[in-house]
Amino acid sequence: MVELLGVSVVYGEAYALRRVSLKVEPGEFVFLVGTTGAGKSTLLKLLYGAIRPTEGRVFVDGQEVNRLRERDIPFLRRRMGVIPQDYPLLPRKTVWENIAYGLRAIGYSQSAVRRRVAQVLAQVGMSAQAHAYPHQLSGGEAQRVAIARALANNPPLLLADEPTANLDPDTSWEIVQLLQQINLRGTTVIVATHNRSIVDRANKRVVALDRGQIISDVPRGGYPAELDKLYPPVAIVPGTSFLNRS
Amino acid sequence: MLDRLFFILSETLTSLRRHGMLQVAAVSTACVALILLGSVGMMLYKLDAIAQSLPRQFEMEVFLKPEVPRERTLALQKQVEAMPAVASVQLVPREQAWEEEKKRYASEVNLSDLPNPLPDKLIVRTDQPEQLPQVAARLQNHPDVDEVLDQRGTLERVLAVARLVRWLGLSLVSMLLLSALVLIYNAVRLTIFARQLEVRIMALVGATLRTIRMPFILEGMVQGGLGGVLAAGLVLMGAGLLSDYMLRLWPFLNDLPPGAPATLVLGGLPTLGMLLGGLCAWWAARRFVRIG
Repeated sequence: MVELLGVSVVYGEAYALRRVSLKVEPGEFVFLVGTTGAGKSTLLKLLYGAIRPTEGRVFVDGQEVNRLRERDIPFLRRRMGVIPQDYPLLPRKTVWENIAYGLRAIGYSQSAVRRRVAQVLAQVGMSAQAHAYPHQLSGGEAQRVAIARALANNPPLLLADEPTANLDPDTSWEIVQLLQQINLRGTTVIVATHNRSIVDRANKRVVALDRGQIISDVPRGGYPAELDKLYPPVAIVPGTSFLNRS
Repeated sequence: MLDRLFFILSETLTSLRRHGMLQVAAVSTACVALILLGSVGMMLYKLDAIAQSLPRQFEMEVFLKPEVPRERTLALQKQVEAMPAVASVQLVPREQAWEEEKKRYASEVNLSDLPNPLPDKLIVRTDQPEQLPQVAARLQNHPDVDEVLDQRGTLERVLAVARLVRWLGLSLVSMLLLSALVLIYNAVRLTIFARQLEVRIMALVGATLRTIRMPFILEGMVQGGLGGVLAAGLVLMGAGLLSDYMLRLWPFLNDLPPGAPATLVLGGLPTLGMLLGGLCAWWAARRFVRIG
């Protein structure tokens, strides 16, 4: 489904990714983990053609993404669902209209839009909020709408960038469960996250990135020990401050 | 296909509705530039029509002295006809000329009580324009001839004014059009930034560049077209008022050929506005709407 061969991405003189090779089979569920700046988002952006590699080759669904012309990128994106970190929703449109908007933009007919929006809203458990506006939704609900929009075109690949950022642990786990359900229906899911608890609990394939390089890749497991060694978890004790910690 | 067209149109309408002040700025800019273009265009059209209506370069009018009797006029006509460079000579008798003058000014003044002050006139045509000066010089020296008018001077003056208006007008219009283009471009650019979220979502779900850019291009066309419609109305209204005012001052202007037809102005300026608006918007959309 997805393959990266010796991929590097350089911004100025800094490496965002350095000679990364990775293969994800169809139907897999993969967590990309790492600290901020490890290269997780860069890797996802390579897959949906938002950036091009400085060196190496990127394949998605058998197509070499780095060779695509700008005008061919949209057709690649119709074969995947992308959930960006900030899960952007149009504030003046209802949940229903937000999902319909994406489908209409790629030429779905009115009747197909109606049918498909109802299906994905049911799939993400948001049918009851179809006529709510984004400001009336909780963070978890807004994330579900973003997932529904990404799923609307029934893509074989789903890319989610920090889908649990700013969500409480329970809601985060609900979102991961939703992504797992989608994966069970055959969709390949790649989730970039630094949320330790969901990775530990899900027990899926975990690819760890550090400073642009893959430092571990385990088929099933929790948050990688390699990252813990490099960046030991900090326990935040209520009442203490970073300023007076020695 | 039809669904995508509806989507593009609804996006265009949404954008037009939501960014009112931007639309006002873009439409008024296009309007001002097109008013100037329309005014200069109308002036040029009029001058061109005047130049066309003047006698051709190889035609002259020979006025005889008032006391010259008809027989001598006819003799002179024969004499001129015999000249090698002359193609034709037409006699306009003073009685006929006076009748025409009386008819022409009938609405303003009654000339019937006045004695005829006009002399006989010969309209002389030469085979080639360059033969005109020598024939005119020979006739000028004839004792029965009072004045030879070959209209070259008038024509040259009209053409000189037309040239001046054309160059000044074109320079002015070019500068204004350029600034209008930049302003419409900027208005569309601001609209693109204001709709960054929509652009981003469309790009993420796989909308083609054409689908994402087209609403902005249509918006530019609407802005230019509306500016053109306003400009056409104002140019025609201004031309009408100016023409009435000038005719009251100088009634003889009534004899000049008419200016540009209203249909040309009403059709031309909005079309031009739409094309220019679309061009600017295409330019801005190409530059600022990316799917990366």
